[in-house]
Amino acid sequence: MLASTLQVLILGLALGGVYALMASGLTLIFGVMRIVNLAHPIMIIAGAFVAYWLFRLYGLDPILAMPIAASVLFVIGVVLYKLVFEKEAASAKYSEMTVLLTFAVALCADGLLGALFSNTQRVTTPAYATDAFIFGTVFIPKGQAYAGAISLLVIGALLAFLNFSRFGTAIRATTQNRAAAQLMGVNVGRVSLITFGIGIALAGAAGALVSFLFSFFPAKHWEWIAILMSLVVLGGMGKLMGAILSAFLLSVIAAFVGTYFGSTWSTMTFFLALFVILLVRPQGLLGDRQEEA
Amino acid sequence: MPELLEVRNVVAGYGSGPAILNGADLHVSPGEIQCIIGPNGAGKSTLMKAITGLLPIRSGEIRLMGERIDRLRPDQILQKGIAFVPQERALFPRMSVRENLRMGGYTIRDERELKRRIDDVLHRFPILSERASQHAGTMSGGQQQMLAMARTLIVRPKIVMLDEPSLGLAPMIVQQMFDIMRQLRDSGMTVLLVEQNAVVGLKNADRGTVLDLGRTLFSGPARDILKDPRVRELYLGKAAA
Ligand SMILES: Nc1ncnc2c1ncn2[C@@H]1O[C@H](COP(=O)(O)OP(=O)(O)OP(=O)(O)O)[C@@H](O)[C@H]1O
Ligand SMILES: [Mg+2]
Repeated sequence: MLASTLQVLILGLALGGVYALMASGLTLIFGVMRIVNLAHPIMIIAGAFVAYWLFRLYGLDPILAMPIAASVLFVIGVVLYKLVFEKEAASAKYSEMTVLLTFAVALCADGLLGALFSNTQRVTTPAYATDAFIFGTVFIPKGQAYAGAISLLVIGALLAFLNFSRFGTAIRATTQNRAAAQLMGVNVGRVSLITFGIGIALAGAAGALVSFLFSFFPAKHWEWIAILMSLVVLGGMGKLMGAILSAFLLSVIAAFVGTYFGSTWSTMTFFLALFVILLVRPQGLLGDRQEEA
Repeated sequence: MPELLEVRNVVAGYGSGPAILNGADLHVSPGEIQCIIGPNGAGKSTLMKAITGLLPIRSGEIRLMGERIDRLRPDQILQKGIAFVPQERALFPRMSVRENLRMGGYTIRDERELKRRIDDVLHRFPILSERASQHAGTMSGGQQQMLAMARTLIVRPKIVMLDEPSLGLAPMIVQQMFDIMRQLRDSGMTVLLVEQNAVVGLKNADRGTVLDLGRTLFSGPARDILKDPRVRELYLGKAAA
């Protein structure tokens, strides 16, 4: 009993790390640009496809493919921002427009990936994906353990970048007060462009992990939108630490719910959480009411 | 003496809305404290946003030491030497006092120089020094205004622009703010401020400019403006009585 509780907790935390990685890019983008990026999950799938093909064609380990997936998606992010969002940023209807635009991007990318690779289920199968650490009666699949640990490393690197580098500080400043950042000499247009790239790159990195954690197909991204949204909202819209903590919290809860009530309910945890948060504490876990509109 | 900052016939508005500034003019000389007054909605804040590049202008021109700056971005205008504290102070609420000051020196790449300047400023503002690691968002209004002002000094700008620095502050703190502004002027900086309380503003300024309906009505020595019967009648109202 205790052992299985421990096991569920560890698995919840490991998956929580991956969710945190997924949500971090989304949160970063929302924080800096107030773009609710509905195309984020499909970018994760795109990252998974990069890892998948590198694995299929060259036998490259999906964990080693992470930086490649991230780089490819960084470029896609930058191009997308230039083509779709840069001009829109000046518009008065900006925030309403971005929801429609990211929705359109999600549809197009979904269609494109479907047309290119079809909607069959895929998964990469590195050796560790079918192996496990066994401590007595506690049984931890290696794939999930690795994915969780690597997610934590990437998030740690991201936090260090945001807190200790000059450009990272500019990103945080722009998130907290865009006009003020400009007045301090920050070129917020450039910060937006690079941040969008980084956010999408993080989705790509998460995608490489997803490629061996779950079987995936282009249309799967719809399932993740609500999951990721619940994390970002619970975290306090644009607050990175909030989103990360929410990811661990909800993922652990979902793991227990899944164990005791079945896996359908596990996904429902996120949807229910989203409703409850919006009703009870719309400013999120770490959000404060007065600040920002 | 050549004008430090010159605003000529500027027209500006928000988005595709009506023009808020309808040919505003402004002349700021080096080493003075100039105070802009005018009724609510006159366009005082809008003029400041236009000068600092936060709001693009539709026509007219803005020059700093003869050089056009009206097509530059806010970050470029800061680099030219104009620092601005907007009406809402524009602090980073979830950064500490020290981090806010560091952001003030964002354009200074020499880390040692930046540290030295931050220490200088902290030395000058003991209130901030005591609270160096407190989050800006949790400080009182007066402390926040001090921080916002102190932060602009890190880059040693030619002009410090302040939009209603006395807003919501106790009279004693307001006097401290003006004392600091005078110190800044005496150390060679130029101060351009907007003041809701025209009497207090003009008493502490060298020159005044009256703005209404997006146009400049008068401009001149602060003392003269204070005495000008038209201005007294129009804008000082009860406050002057
Ligand atoms: N962001 C904005 N979008 C649209 N209109 C605006 C905006 N900011 C100000 N205005 C309008 O511009 C006009 C001038 O506003 P502004 O803030 O410049 O006045 P002000 O002289 O600073 O007034 P106050 O003394 O109240 O601060 C007002 O009619 C206001 O409604
Ligand atoms: Mg104003």
